[in-house]
Amino acid sequence: MNDLSQSSISTDVAISAQNVSKQFGHVHALRNASLTAHKGEVVALFGDNGAGKSTFLKILQGSIRPDKGQLSIDGRPVLLNSVRDAQRLGVDTVYQDLALAPDLSVVDNMFLGGELKVKNPLAGLGVLDRKAMSEQADAALRELSIALPSLTVPVRDLSGGQRQAVAVARSVMRSTTAVLLDEPTAALGARQSELVCDLMRRVADRGLGVVVVSHDLPRVLALADRVVILWRGETVLDAPAKDLTVPDVVATMVGFNKKESN
Amino acid sequence: MSQPTTDWKTTANPIVDTRATKPRPWILRVLSTRAAMIFILNIVIFVAFNIQSHGLFSSVMSVQSMLLTGTESLLLALGLAMLLGAGIFDLSLGANLVLSSVMAATVMRSMLGTSATGEVTGDVNAAIWAGLATAVVTGAIFGLVNGLLVAYARMNALIATLGTLGIATGLAYVVSKGADISGLPQQLQSNFGLAKVGDMPLPTIVAIVVAVVLLLVVRFTRFGMRTLSIGSSRAAAERVGIKVPQHLLLLAVIAGGLAGVAGFIDISHFAGTSMNGHANDALNAVTAAVIGGTLLEGGRISILGTIWGAALAVLLQSGLVMVGVSSYYQLMAVGLVLILAVGLDRFSAARRKKS
Repeated sequence: MNDLSQSSISTDVAISAQNVSKQFGHVHALRNASLTAHKGEVVALFGDNGAGKSTFLKILQGSIRPDKGQLSIDGRPVLLNSVRDAQRLGVDTVYQDLALAPDLSVVDNMFLGGELKVKNPLAGLGVLDRKAMSEQADAALRELSIALPSLTVPVRDLSGGQRQAVAVARSVMRSTTAVLLDEPTAALGARQSELVCDLMRRVADRGLGVVVVSHDLPRVLALADRVVILWRGETVLDAPAKDLTVPDVVATMVGFNKKESN
Repeated sequence: MSQPTTDWKTTANPIVDTRATKPRPWILRVLSTRAAMIFILNIVIFVAFNIQSHGLFSSVMSVQSMLLTGTESLLLALGLAMLLGAGIFDLSLGANLVLSSVMAATVMRSMLGTSATGEVTGDVNAAIWAGLATAVVTGAIFGLVNGLLVAYARMNALIATLGTLGIATGLAYVVSKGADISGLPQQLQSNFGLAKVGDMPLPTIVAIVVAVVLLLVVRFTRFGMRTLSIGSSRAAAERVGIKVPQHLLLLAVIAGGLAGVAGFIDISHFAGTSMNGHANDALNAVTAAVIGGTLLEGGRISILGTIWGAALAVLLQSGLVMVGVSSYYQLMAVGLVLILAVGLDRFSAARRKKS
């Protein structure tokens, strides 16, 4: 159980966090957590409730600063002060609540916060270039083989899986190094979960690092290249997914293997 | 290693999911919008009153009078529609109108004197411009205060504007010493309040220009899109990095400024203030916006619908008076239309969910 990857700084690392710790008052949310996602790799982050997954993800996306530990993005050490910092370095997050505006169209949602303006003096008035926006949104969705009936329907009218796909496509469109996903299949049925897992694989195939936090062990284990398991704020396992079974993962998640090895 | 029961790797190309609603032909889409329905209802009402009054209802005088009556409520409703679209509210628009008109009238009075024969003396033109500026600035500052309370202090918009409503109403009475300010120059009416371009009242043209600008803003600009996104999901807007408080503040200032313009129109209509009679203005603005299809919950703005919603109230009021029915029935009729319109929406939304 000491297969902690000691990957040195290299250019094919999309995002990595080494020996990160974070304390909230008296609570050690993270004590010694490490994770590395290479480009083209899907890394699953597992852990029981309270193991520190959310805190770890928030540190990776820049919304929390760690007390100790080193973050690097695209092979370079970085200090993140905000989500914006991470986004500038090409790391975008797909939140569990998706952060979509249900009344806006697919196209508008894809560009919300990063809208394209027309290339004429009207840009000064904030006039949107909806044509370019829908072309680029269409291309981004096509690239991930996401089929939607129309890009002008409000997101409200899409199914859960389609909304998830839109949120993933938006993050992929905005990120150049890594995509972080928080429980992407939590609200989905079986078939749609599989489509989303498949989508994550295609995102990785485009050369991005993918970090996925999930409770959907069987599906995500089958999809991931590597598995990182947190237990009480520590990385207790970092291993290739193909060597692991769901019972292994569950035993490690609840700390059973840890106690055994002690 | 445990395998998932289904082989997801073979589902690489998701089949088009047809559960999302397909767009219908544009003519059906346009006709099924609330704005179009209220527009048609307005036409029916107009024609009915016109037949009943033997053509008197469609006379130039009658239509001009209705346009002028609707102008102020339209300006308030347009500002409110923008606020509602972003998911906030303003109960104080009527009080803002009153305060702006009192401030403008006070400034104008102070710049002008009255001769022994009762003629207004002084630079009338300068006074009128100063009055306009005072009204707009007062309204905008009022909006700014509302915006600070709602967007930055994160107070509930209903409560915050209920508070400012009281403060502004009281302030208006203090400034005017409790009595309407009259004796404003007659040029205020002849040059603006009752002036016409062709047959169209000048204040109405101002309101229509505002409506067209807002329509374009909502449909085609980043500002409009972000306004709707905040009303649709404030959390989502914050997540993607939109400066939500700043945006809401700007919206509140715009709505306040429009109430200020309405206040100036009010004094230029009557050449004096009319502090009473605006108690229900804010609620009438809500009615107009919501009848027209703007969502109270935010995320949808219908500028056209707001115009027809404001027109509906005016048509009913003028029409009922003209055919000799008490205008109290107008209140009942508008309330009924509001409930029917929103009720139908709920009904179709519930049916959509079931199917």
